[in-house]
Order: sequence, then structure tokens, then C-alpha cells
Amino acid sequence: MGHLSIETLARLVGEAPSPAERKHLEGCPDCRAELLALKEQTEALGALPNLRPPAGDWEALEARLTSDGLIRSGALMGPAARWRLSGWAQAAAALVLFLGGTALGPKVWESGRSVGIQDPGDSGMELVPVGFQAQPVSDLTEAAEAVRLAERQFIDALVQYRQLLDAQGQPSRIGDPTVRLAALQGIVAAGRAGVQQAPADPFMNGVLVGALAEQEALLKTASLSGRAGIY
Amino acid sequence: MTEAQLIRQACEGHGTAVRTLYERYAPRVYAVVRRIAGDDDLAQDYAQEAWIRAIRALPTFRGDARFSTWLHRIAVNSALQALRKSETRTRRESPMPEAIPIAADGGDTLLGSLLERAMDRLPEGMREILILHDVEGYTHEEIGEFLGVTSGTSKSQLFKARAKMREILRPTLAGGSEGGNGVEAWGI
Repeated sequence: MGHLSIETLARLVGEAPSPAERKHLEGCPDCRAELLALKEQTEALGALPNLRPPAGDWEALEARLTSDGLIRSGALMGPAARWRLSGWAQAAAALVLFLGGTALGPKVWESGRSVGIQDPGDSGMELVPVGFQAQPVSDLTEAAEAVRLAERQFIDALVQYRQLLDAQGQPSRIGDPTVRLAALQGIVAAGRAGVQQAPADPFMNGVLVGALAEQEALLKTASLSGRAGIY
Repeated sequence: MTEAQLIRQACEGHGTAVRTLYERYAPRVYAVVRRIAGDDDLAQDYAQEAWIRAIRALPTFRGDARFSTWLHRIAVNSALQALRKSETRTRRESPMPEAIPIAADGGDTLLGSLLERAMDRLPEGMREILILHDVEGYTHEEIGEFLGVTSGTSKSQLFKARAKMREILRPTLAGGSEGGNGVEAWGI
């Protein structure tokens, strides 16, 4: 009997040999050595380490997740950063967010309980009732959750507002989206730097949250209107 | 924060939660995707696609399996499908370094590099099965599901892949014999 084939030996890495194969191995140091080498090769493959993704991998993924509407971008928008803020800072951030929203797109705060968006050129006709109801809260966690809900609703309302503007042929109100996005990215970068310097400053937080919300709304609107490719 | 909490928040679109999951599992996802792709540039695209799929599918994760297992399967499926689509993909024939000794000092790194490069040179079908079985530890039945082949086919391809790897690596091993039924061990 000649040597066992390399494929037979490869099988014997994980399977028991037949009686004939066993007998051959017992009398053939070459095949035993080759089988040992194959076993070591297989063990080494199983011990290969994980691989670190290339630099910039997360940033590319984050941009895609954001443009696909799968995440809200920004460190402050995440819970870890949010919970570090004191209660007054969170409330102030929410206030600045809504004040900023008022400046960016007309909005009505009816009796302090419901939010709607009005077309400024249409004498008060409410276009997008979003039905926000401020719920009483009893602790910091609930208050923070209320802020998060308000942010979410503000962003959604802003997206609807942009869509309606586009549908009504008034896209010029937001200008060139590419230029606007570039400008917003600059504001976000500045806002992040500001928050890093002063994490509990309500103004810095408000600027950052407002800019992030506007950036997300712009990206969503562009994506929904089929213009995402320009970004 | 527990993993279940992270997953719930990621489902709700919290960027920080998604990033935490990414940082926790990106090396494992990237490793399997890179090995299946056999190419750095493709690997980055495939890994991104795998993560997008996983985040989209997060609401369907019920916790029946470990999250890492669930995510790994998505990464494997995503990479395999992407590879099938790239019909114009060309084989890479990166030359192997000659007679590099497998030494104890730093030997693991060198051996790992040799193995990665040798895998890149395997025919695609063999490489996929070798990676899924010998590197990632899937069973032949699981591999059959991934690839749409029988477990018998998976086994026979695995044995061929191991043999081919041995042939590719043999000349690079210090003291390795050329041709024939080489007898040297790895010495690692």
C-alpha cells in the first residue's frame, strides 16, 4: 500500500481512521507526520484572531445608517451622553431645541400642550398636527424620556414640514440642500466641540441638538425625495 | 447597561447604542467578512452591508440565540450573497513569501499572516467552506444551509481545501520539502 492521499489525511484530521488506514499510519512515519502537520494547520486556523476594521469604518457606517434613517446621529442624541446631563440642562436643551425649531420653521405651541406646524404664508391654517402632549413627569428619568420623545416628534414634524414645502413647490425656503448640509455639518462640529468643553451648558447642548435634528431632517427629506444621491 | 438594553435602544435608533454594539462586535464581523471576501476593499463594503442588514433586522431579534451568534450569521450570509453578486471578481494571486521560518518569537503573527494569505489563494468554494468550518466552527449541516449544498459536499470540499492549504503552505515552511508527501511538521 502506498502513502495515504493528502485528502484522506485531511479527513483524518477530524475523523477516526478505518482499520486499514490505522494500520498504515502505524507503520508509516511520513503519513503520521503529514497528518500531524494537517492537524496543526487546522488548529492554527481555529485560533486565528479577529481582525480590526480599517480606520474610518464606523464613520462610513454611521453616515449610511443615518442617511437610511436607522439611527439618530450624534453623541448627545445617544442615551449615554444624555443621562450625564443634569435635569435643568436637559430641560434647557429641549427648550432651546424648540425655540430653534420655531426660528427654523414656523410652529405653533398651542396652550403649551400641542405642537403643530403652520404654513407661514397661509394665515394660520394648520398643515401638520403632530399631537404632542406634554405628560406630567415625576422623576429625572421620565423627564429625560419626555425630552427624547419631544425631540423625536420635533424631528418628525420637521421632516413633514420639509416634505410639504417640497410638495407645494417651495423648496427654495431651505435653499440648496448640499450647501445647507455642509453648513449644518459645520455647526454640528462646532456644537460638539462646545459640548466637550462645557458638557452641562444648556446653550451648547441646544445648539448641538438643534443642528443634529435639522441635519437629520434634511437628510431624511432628501432621501425621501430621491435626492439622497447628492450627499 | 445590559446587552438587551443596548439592543432595545439600538432598535429605537439610538446612535450611541448602535455604536456600542459595533465596537463590541466589529472585529468579529470584520474578520469573517474579510476572510470570505478575500480582499480588503471588498471586505469593508461587505462589512458595512452586514451591519446595515443587522440593524434593520434588530426588531426581529428575539433572543433565542446569543446576539453575537445571530449577528455572525447575518454577516456570513451577507458576505456570501455579496460575493455571489460580484461576478466579475478576479482571483487574487498574491505571491507567498519564500521560506519564512515559523519561529516561536512572533510566530503567531507570522503564522496568522501566512494562513490568511494562503486562504486568499484558495478557490472560492473551498475557501468559504474552510473558513466556515475550520475558522468559524460551523457544522457541515450549518454550512449546507449557508451555501445550499449537502453536508456531504461540504465535507468533501473541506478535505480538498485542507489539502490545498497544505500544498500552498508547504514551500513557505522552513525546511519544507518540495513536492512528494512532505513530512515536516509546523514546528509551532
